[in-house]
Amino acid sequence: MSLVELDGVVKRFGDLTVLDRVDLRIEPREIIAVIGRSGSGKSTMLRCINGLEPIQEGRILFDGITVNDPITDLRKLRQRVGIVFQSYNLFPHLSVERNITLAPRVVKGMKDDAARRLAESALARVGLADKIDAYPDELSGGQQQRVAIARSLAMQPQLMLFDEITSALDPELTGEVLKVLEQVAREGMTMMLVTHEIGFARRVATRLIFMHQGRIWEQGRANEVLESPRTPELATFLEAVLH
Amino acid sequence: MIREFNLIDVYYLLLAARWTLALTGIAFLGGGLVGMIVAVMRVSPFAPLRLASTLFVNVVQGIPLLAWLFVFFFGLPILAGVRISPWTAAIAAYAIYAGAFLGEIWRGCLQAIPRQQWEAGAALALSFGEQLYYIIVPQAIRIAVPPTVGFLVQLIKNTSLAAVIGFVELTREGQLTNAATYQPFTVYIVVAAIYFAMCFPLTQWSRRLERTLRVAR
Repeated sequence: MSLVELDGVVKRFGDLTVLDRVDLRIEPREIIAVIGRSGSGKSTMLRCINGLEPIQEGRILFDGITVNDPITDLRKLRQRVGIVFQSYNLFPHLSVERNITLAPRVVKGMKDDAARRLAESALARVGLADKIDAYPDELSGGQQQRVAIARSLAMQPQLMLFDEITSALDPELTGEVLKVLEQVAREGMTMMLVTHEIGFARRVATRLIFMHQGRIWEQGRANEVLESPRTPELATFLEAVLH
Repeated sequence: MIREFNLIDVYYLLLAARWTLALTGIAFLGGGLVGMIVAVMRVSPFAPLRLASTLFVNVVQGIPLLAWLFVFFFGLPILAGVRISPWTAAIAAYAIYAGAFLGEIWRGCLQAIPRQQWEAGAALALSFGEQLYYIIVPQAIRIAVPPTVGFLVQLIKNTSLAAVIGFVELTREGQLTNAATYQPFTVYIVVAAIYFAMCFPLTQWSRRLERTLRVAR
């Protein structure tokens, strides 16, 4: 059984169809990079997988659980599916430690000592062990995004979703965040990331998906898809982003 | 018979000011409780709760406080046949009135927190209540202080309306003193000074609180 299955998923915002009968399987340990123009539905697809956006037709399964079933306990699901956003969304009133340990404390009932150790180890993974007592506004954008990754990892999810997490960062800071992503990938995490970093996708992704007009337009091994696009849409897109 | 306005009158005015404070206290407590419920209902993900609270706010804000005092004190005995004390009537009327206004103020403060903060909480498996309690409210409190204190100052002055159901609070005592001494200027200057002495420290305290809350993030 695949970890994630999307069957004929349709998502509309009013009259606008954002996802148009999307079928997708994600196997454990896959690292899937999703590229495409803005408005092609890539972020929406990601957000549907952990139930942040409801869908209108079709079915989304995570580990056999139907995400879009109204009786599904989304809280249980979200403990197993982490998401990191473009705008970090750290909690500005909480220290880095509290940002990371809030959900483990509240949702999993973790005690102070264990929570502190969890924050320490999560921060070590993103190279920010010395920032444990800092507040978000004392950190650079890249550091904030790494804390957001650590916060998500601390829930020990089985799948991590990354929604354009370097798009708000300048190139220098993008590098440090991508390095962390590569590290997480090496640890064997199943990941799906919407990205504009084609070079990174080529290096790290086990599969590349090109989305266009709400559909999965092309997919395959990153190198092959990037070297020899089969459709004119992908060819034009690559030309635009690579030059 | 007209007598002189003297220190004993000031003393009586100060005694009456205690009623003003007591009325403000219960109005704020009752209104705060109602207001919290209203504010949470207004931002809740469940449409029927939002609808009910919106209706409540619109009805209460569309009817003057004076009318609410009349409804509870004079209306209930006629409509439902229950006699209630001035205190009960005042508590009910002020809780409803202050509840609607505080509820609206606090709803605005909750909604001023970016939607992404809710979303980040939801993505970390927090429930609606947990998102509210741990993420949204702590950030909203800071922006809620100035308008809340502003309303509290209004409330102090609005307690004078309770005179219509028999409370001899500061304004009413001022009227009575004036009737006995016929020195409106002096009497109402003293009344105004006492109101000012109650309101001014509040606004000062609000400023200080804002500063400390900013430092504490």
